[in-house]
Amino acid sequence: MRKLLAIFRFLTNRSTRERDLDRELGYHVDRQTELNVTRGMPTAEAHRQAVLSFGGIEPLKEHCRDARAGRTVEALFQDVRYGIRVLLKNPGFSAAAVVTLALGIGANTAIFSVVYGVLLRPLPYRDGGQLVVLHQQLRDAHIADMPFSVKEIQDYCDRNHTLSGIVEHHTMSFLLIGKDTAERVETAVVSANFFEVLGVKPLLGRTFVAADDRKDAPAVLILSYKYWQTHQSGDPNIVGKVFQMNNRPHTVLAVLPPIPQYPSEADVYMPTSQCPTRSSAKFIADRGGRMMTAFGRLKPGVPLEKARADLAVAAAQVENSNPADYPKKYGYGMAISPLETELTERGRSAFLVLLAGAGFVLLIACANVANLLLARALKLEREFAVRTALGASRGRLIRQLLTESVMLSLTGGALGLLLAPAAMAVLVRFAERFTTRAAEVHIDLPVLLFTMFIAFATGILFGLAPAVSTGQWLSDAFKQAGGRITSSRSRHRLRAALVVAQVAISLVLLIGAGLMIRSFSKLQQVNPGFRPDHLITLRYSPGFPPYTMETAPVLMDNLLRKIAAVGGVDSVAIASGFPLNRDGLISGPGANEFVIEGRPVPKDEPKPQSALRVVSPAYFDTIRQPIVKGRAFTEHDDKVAVAIINQTLARHRWPNEDAIGHRIHFERGEEWLQIVGIVSDVKDYGLDRAAADQVYIPLKQGGFSNRMIVRTSLDPAAVAPLLRAAMHEIDPHIAVDRVETMERLEYDSMASPRVMTILLGIFAGLAVLISSSGIAAVMALSVTQRAHELGIRMALGAERTAIVLMVVKQGLALAFAGTLIGIAGAALLARTLATMLYDTQPTDILTFLCVSIVFLAVAAAACFIPARQVTAIDPLTALRQE
Amino acid sequence: MPKPKSDLLQGTLDLLILKTLELEPMHGWGISLRIQQVSQDVLQVNQGSLYPALHRLEDQGWISAAWKVSENNRQAKYYELTKLGRRQLVNEKENWVRLSAAVARIVGA
Repeated sequence: MRKLLAIFRFLTNRSTRERDLDRELGYHVDRQTELNVTRGMPTAEAHRQAVLSFGGIEPLKEHCRDARAGRTVEALFQDVRYGIRVLLKNPGFSAAAVVTLALGIGANTAIFSVVYGVLLRPLPYRDGGQLVVLHQQLRDAHIADMPFSVKEIQDYCDRNHTLSGIVEHHTMSFLLIGKDTAERVETAVVSANFFEVLGVKPLLGRTFVAADDRKDAPAVLILSYKYWQTHQSGDPNIVGKVFQMNNRPHTVLAVLPPIPQYPSEADVYMPTSQCPTRSSAKFIADRGGRMMTAFGRLKPGVPLEKARADLAVAAAQVENSNPADYPKKYGYGMAISPLETELTERGRSAFLVLLAGAGFVLLIACANVANLLLARALKLEREFAVRTALGASRGRLIRQLLTESVMLSLTGGALGLLLAPAAMAVLVRFAERFTTRAAEVHIDLPVLLFTMFIAFATGILFGLAPAVSTGQWLSDAFKQAGGRITSSRSRHRLRAALVVAQVAISLVLLIGAGLMIRSFSKLQQVNPGFRPDHLITLRYSPGFPPYTMETAPVLMDNLLRKIAAVGGVDSVAIASGFPLNRDGLISGPGANEFVIEGRPVPKDEPKPQSALRVVSPAYFDTIRQPIVKGRAFTEHDDKVAVAIINQTLARHRWPNEDAIGHRIHFERGEEWLQIVGIVSDVKDYGLDRAAADQVYIPLKQGGFSNRMIVRTSLDPAAVAPLLRAAMHEIDPHIAVDRVETMERLEYDSMASPRVMTILLGIFAGLAVLISSSGIAAVMALSVTQRAHELGIRMALGAERTAIVLMVVKQGLALAFAGTLIGIAGAALLARTLATMLYDTQPTDILTFLCVSIVFLAVAAAACFIPARQVTAIDPLTALRQE
Repeated sequence: MPKPKSDLLQGTLDLLILKTLELEPMHGWGISLRIQQVSQDVLQVNQGSLYPALHRLEDQGWISAAWKVSENNRQAKYYELTKLGRRQLVNEKENWVRLSAAVARIVGA
């Protein structure tokens, strides 16, 4: 406290203090002079000796000031004031530096806020680190994530010793009928201990208890925060409200807080006893009825490894007591992984790559500003020499240079912080594709601290090179005091090294972007196997009851006829799925297993599997999927059981013969299906995936399907609203949702590679811009400094063009060195992109070559600008400068 | 430019200043003169270190300063020991006795 007061006093009465110091030292000099005079010196000499005994008045005053506690603070104020003056005097330089840094720091802040929110922030569940996800695996069938059946979950609950609770989860889509609304809601069906194990406290009401999960318990629902906000307008009295669902009243029990939901976003939650599928006795008894996800909480103090071993033992017991369900050949096992990893796994590499990219851009910006400062420091050397003579210590001068650079970077950081939210909005939408944690992204204290830190660190980083080299220079300055000040060789080398580093880092970014662009263009050229234009897809959901499996076909017929009559509709089909939609992918062994007539499969061998889609006759025509052989379905395919397969399946199972006419039989089906047609392959599950084996069966045999695909002759966006209205004419209680154009789905399916490509492209563009301006600036400076030498060369008869070429060559030499280092670095780093590339090697020679050539061309152009200054050199003036 | 170094053992200058001020308040020039005289010209206080030391001690609160009329009728800055300074002097003296005894033992051995 006393110290603070002293600092305060010191800072406040500066003028008195300076006067006192002058008077105090003056008194001393006077007395000493008097003393010297009495010893017989002449007055002038006596005074001179008195001053000399101090070793110089001004340095002594500086040391006295330094002895004070408030000195550092005051020096900082001085440096800041001086810095502001200097920076304002060079507005062009300052603005360039601040804008460069703002872009770099803003990009880093935005990406860090996403990385922090998604990857680093602790889970908002109680002791989130203890939560683990269970995965059943069939290692030899290459299935890493097989859903659980009721029996399996029961087994693991009984047999584990390391988890304090296991919960189950699956989603269903139900109609939620309010007073005058009917909405399809994503419903998470969970065990009663779900929220207790996660450690989630409700915002309103209470979460499930064991009694809610009993078979005869009254039906209850818990709403997610988002659904409550968007669909129930945040009604504070929602608890206790009653909705109709699955033909019985459901009472709202609670509202959840805004937390990321796992494993998926749901609108409402219900206990398992209320799900018609999950609670049926047949389903519960079926060990192969797998649709659930399971996760649990480690008992306190149990390490992950111990739980892993414990569950492996349990899995062996499950496998051995049910040999028929887990044939040895599949390699059944159990894997667990922390929920935190699980939630963020998919986006992790993308975000780390982006963070690295943004970091690289900032490094390049630092190198550039450092180079600008170095160039400026040259002009300031004379001033520094004078200040040193007046008693400024070397440390003090370095501190002043650093203060200046930190002021630049903090200003840049503040500006960057203003730019960050715009970039964040884009990034959050990007992150939503990977993880439900994207909602947690915002600028908060850790992000602010990060920004402050990088702003400060960059200031020190780019300030250090000029400051230290100036400091070094100062120690030599006095040796040649008064002489002409020359730029030292070492300083030129430092600038050259900075340029080489800039070039190398830029090239790494450029190659990364180049690889992404190449991969993306390949992805765009992928033939999806159908015509995505003018297609609308939607999901419609009639209530069961009033409809039954017997009346559904009539409804579907009516709908098809009604929609076909809507203006602008070309053709319409109903199907269980449509292309570019991952629903319906084979989910495990046993799923869609089939046998081929005349080819019995030995008991322990895996049976052939296939994706299965139910389609109405017009399906292939509607999406324009060509029939390669045989025929499409007709209206009359309800009598004889038939199927159509895709080319991939035909190639796999009938490589040397015609598949048409053969018969297949699905495990759970009742009849033999005769293959009547072969269609060409469609990229059904994403453009970046190879076509899977696919079987199509006619709608008349498949029962009910809830997707509709419509081809329009007009703009699909104009037709879409008419479809809903047409359906509601048949039955206003049919819920219609997920209305999308196929082009939109196609665009979305490429959204993550697109965003990655664009962002890396922006980073690379910034990098090239910054580093080529860096090359130009360094070459310009070197031309200015060598004007004298170049003048002599010209006077001796050197051609101007030869000199221009020499300058360009020197600049290119730097660029070339940087390019070589950059290629080596890129070869090492590109592997991290491997998982994000489609049909492109991370060490794609063509990309490396093109990028290097383009970059060197840009560098050569950047060298030409300063080289042209050479032509302005007048040999006579250059010589006279001496 | 290097900082002027005291010719005295590090920390000794503080002790000498405090000790000199124990008798009576004194200005800078007087302190340097007094040290020189009392040490019979053995110790020459470097003026370049004396004033920074005075400012540092004042800053630490061991001495306080006031403008007074000097012996030759002029305004001079007089330094005076504070309560804290007296305590510090006792400490420094003990340190010095211990240190010099140790050095004496080594040199005399």
